[in-house]
Amino acid sequence: MDFQGIHDRLQAIQAPGLQGADEPREPDPENKKDKGRFGDPFVLVDAKLLPAFLQVCRDDERLNMDLVADFTATDPAKDDENLWINVQLLSIGQKHRLAIKCMIPKANAVMPTSVPVHRSCQWHEREAAEMYGITFEGHPDPRHILLPDDWVGFPMRKDYEFPEEYHGISCK
Amino acid sequence: MTSTAQETHEPTITRSDEEVVLDSGEREFMFDVRTQDMEVNFGPQHPATHGVMRILMRADGEVCTGAQPHLGYLHRCAEKIGENVEWLQYLPYTDRYDYLAAMNNNLGYSMAVEKLMGVEIPRRALMIRTICAELNRIGSHLIAFGTYGLDLGAFTPFLYMFREREWMMALFEKICGARLTYSYIRIGGVFNDAPPGWLSEVERFCDTFEEKWKEYCDLLMVNHIFVKRTADVGVIPVDMALDFGLTGPMLRGSGVDFDLRKDMPYELYDEIWKDKAFEIPVGTGEKGTLGDCWDRVYVRVMEMMESIKIVRWCLAAIEPGPVIADIPKTLRVPPGEAYVGIENPRGELGHYVVSDGGKVGVRVRVRGPSFVNLAVLEAILPGALIADAIAIIGSTDIVVGETDR
Amino acid sequence: MGFLEKQFQENVLTTKVDWLLNWCRLSSIWPMTFGLACCAIEMMAVGCAHHDIDRFGAGAFRASPRQADLMIVAGTVNFKMAERIKRLYDQMPSPKYVIAMGACATGGGPYYKFGYTVVKGVDRVVPVDVYVAGCPPRPEALLEGLMKLQEKIQNSSVIRRPARTA
Ligand code: SF4
Repeated sequence: MDFQGIHDRLQAIQAPGLQGADEPREPDPENKKDKGRFGDPFVLVDAKLLPAFLQVCRDDERLNMDLVADFTATDPAKDDENLWINVQLLSIGQKHRLAIKCMIPKANAVMPTSVPVHRSCQWHEREAAEMYGITFEGHPDPRHILLPDDWVGFPMRKDYEFPEEYHGISCK
Repeated sequence: MTSTAQETHEPTITRSDEEVVLDSGEREFMFDVRTQDMEVNFGPQHPATHGVMRILMRADGEVCTGAQPHLGYLHRCAEKIGENVEWLQYLPYTDRYDYLAAMNNNLGYSMAVEKLMGVEIPRRALMIRTICAELNRIGSHLIAFGTYGLDLGAFTPFLYMFREREWMMALFEKICGARLTYSYIRIGGVFNDAPPGWLSEVERFCDTFEEKWKEYCDLLMVNHIFVKRTADVGVIPVDMALDFGLTGPMLRGSGVDFDLRKDMPYELYDEIWKDKAFEIPVGTGEKGTLGDCWDRVYVRVMEMMESIKIVRWCLAAIEPGPVIADIPKTLRVPPGEAYVGIENPRGELGHYVVSDGGKVGVRVRVRGPSFVNLAVLEAILPGALIADAIAIIGSTDIVVGETDR
Repeated sequence: MGFLEKQFQENVLTTKVDWLLNWCRLSSIWPMTFGLACCAIEMMAVGCAHHDIDRFGAGAFRASPRQADLMIVAGTVNFKMAERIKRLYDQMPSPKYVIAMGACATGGGPYYKFGYTVVKGVDRVVPVDVYVAGCPPRPEALLEGLMKLQEKIQNSSVIRRPARTA
C-alpha cells in the first residue's frame, strides 16, 4: 500500500491517537521564505496513545505492521518546545512502511512505553531515554544503555554542554 | 572470564535416600545435586564478543538462566556528530560504525540524503555502487563466518577466509585508496571511476571465489563437529524474531523470506531481481530446528554466492558514463525528513535524516541492525548451556561499532 | 692457560646480560587481543596469513592479560572502557608495553571534537610506548610500530640507574 492507502485505512479503522498526516510539498512560488518540505510523508500521532496505535497497526490485517524498524527521538531545535518521537514501521507481509511522529513537550517529557506491544522497542526506548531525557512510563528496564550509569545530562539535546572531565579523565 | 560466586558456601552434593535399581542389576545412586546461581561476567574484553561487549550471565550449573547484555563500551557519539558537521563531512563517520561493511553504510547514508535532495544518480555510478556494496557484503560475511568458526574452535577456516578478504580489500584499495574505511560512495554517485582493469579483476575475483567457496562449505558447513555445535542451538521462532524486530540473516534464518533488496528494492536491485539474477536463501531447518544457529550461518554462506551473482550481473551490464551527479561542494539539503532502509549484511540499516535547509543536519539517526539483533540474546540465552552461549552470540554476527555507534 | 685455551672459540659467544635479556624479550612479545573498534580488524589482518606478525615473534595473541607483554590498543577508547583498560593494564606482568594503534587511541581521532564520551588518547589512562598513526593504520604500519617497540626494548637496560638529580 502507498502512504495514501495506509492513511485512509487508518482513518477507516479509527486508529487511536491519529492526528493527521504530513506530506511533502514543493516550495510555494509566491512566498520567497517558504522552502517547501521534501522527503517522506508521515502521520502525526498523540504520544499518549502511541502504544495503542502501534497495536492497532500490528493487528489490523490490511496494515499488518509487524516490525518496528526504528524508534527514536529528535530534538528539532534549541528553542523548540517539543521533542519528536519518530517511529518507522515495516510490514513484512504487505511490504510497506509507515513513518510516525509524535510531539512531546521538553518540559514534561513523559510518555507510555510501547514495550508490551513490540519488545524491540525496549532498547530503543532505553536509548531515547538516556539521550533525550524522556521518561517511558512502565518500561521494564529503565537503565542507561550506552552511557555509563552515572552520566549526567542528556547528550543528544541541542542545549547539551560537553563535560569537562569524567572520573578524573579530562575531556579537553 | 571472571566469575563471582554470589554466595559463599560451596555447592553440596548429598546422597538422597532412594536408590534406583536398574534392570541389569547395576545400581545407580540418584544424587540430589544442589547448585546455586552463579553470575558469570562475559566480556567486555573477551575474544568471542567480537569487540567490546559485556554480557552478564546467570548460570545454574551448566545452564544459563539469565542474560543481560551491557553495551556502550564503544559509544562514539556518531549521532551527535551528525548534528554538528556538514552533510558531506559526516560521510567518513558512516564508515566507522559498521566497519566491516563500510560501503553499505556509505550507500545508506548517501541514499537518505539523496532522497531529500532528489538528485538523479548516473547509471554507471549505480552499477559501481552495487558492485562495491555486494563485494563488501561478501567481505563482511567472510569475517562473520570465519570468526564464528574461530569461536567454535576451528582456526583454519579463519585464515582461509582472511586470504580471500585480503584480495577483496586490495580491490577496494585500488578503487578508493583505503582498506577499511572507504568513504567511496558519495552523495550523488561515487567518488571516482573504476581504474582501468579493475572490473576485469573483479571478474577474476568472482571466478576464484566461487571455487574457494566450495572449500568453505566442505570445511565448515558440513563438518560434523560444527553441525553438532550449531544445530538445534539458539532457536529463534518466527514470532519472536518479529517481536524483536530482527532483520537480515537473523530473520531469514528463521524461515521468513524477506529481503529489502527483493521486497522493497532500491537502486538497481529491482532490475536485477526481475532478471532473476539472484535468489534469497532462507533457513530450512535442514540440520536441526528451523531458526537455529546453523540456519543463520547457512543463510550467510549462501548469500555470499548470491552476491557474486549480482556482481556478475553488473559486470555484464556496466557501460561507460559519468559516475557522479553535479553536486555542489557545500551541500545545502532541502528541508524535510527522510528514512531510508537498505539491506546491510546484518539486516536493515536505516538512516533517518532531518534537515532544515542548512549546511548541517538537524538529526542523523542510524538504525543499526546489530543493535536490534543483539536484543534477542536476552530471550534466547536463558535455557541454553553455557558452552552454547558462544555459539549463540557468534551467530548473531554483531559489530560493536554499530550497536554502540 | 693450558687446558681451557682454544676450547670454546667456536661455540661460545660473549655478550652483555642486557643485550641477551633484551634480545629474548623483543623476540617474543606476546600481545593481548584487545581489539576495540575498526582498527581491530586491521590488527586481525596483521595476525593472519598475508601479513603474519608471527615473523617477528609477536604472533601469540593471548586472551588473558596475565600472559601478555604487549597491549595493542586498537580502537576508540571511551570512558566506560577506560576503567577496564586501566585494570587490564595493571593485570599485565612487567615489563609491559603499550602500542596505541590508530588516530583514536593516539588522540581521539575523528571523535576529538564532538565525541562527548571519547577519551582523547589512551595515554590519558595508561602509559604508551609507541603510537601508530592512521585511521586505520595499514597492517604494515602496525608492523613498523612493533619494530619500533623492539628497538626501544633493545636499548633498555635491566639495571635500574638511580635517577639523576641536579
Ligand atoms: S583510528 Fe580510525 S579506524 Fe581506528 S578505531 Fe579510530 S576511527 Fe576506527
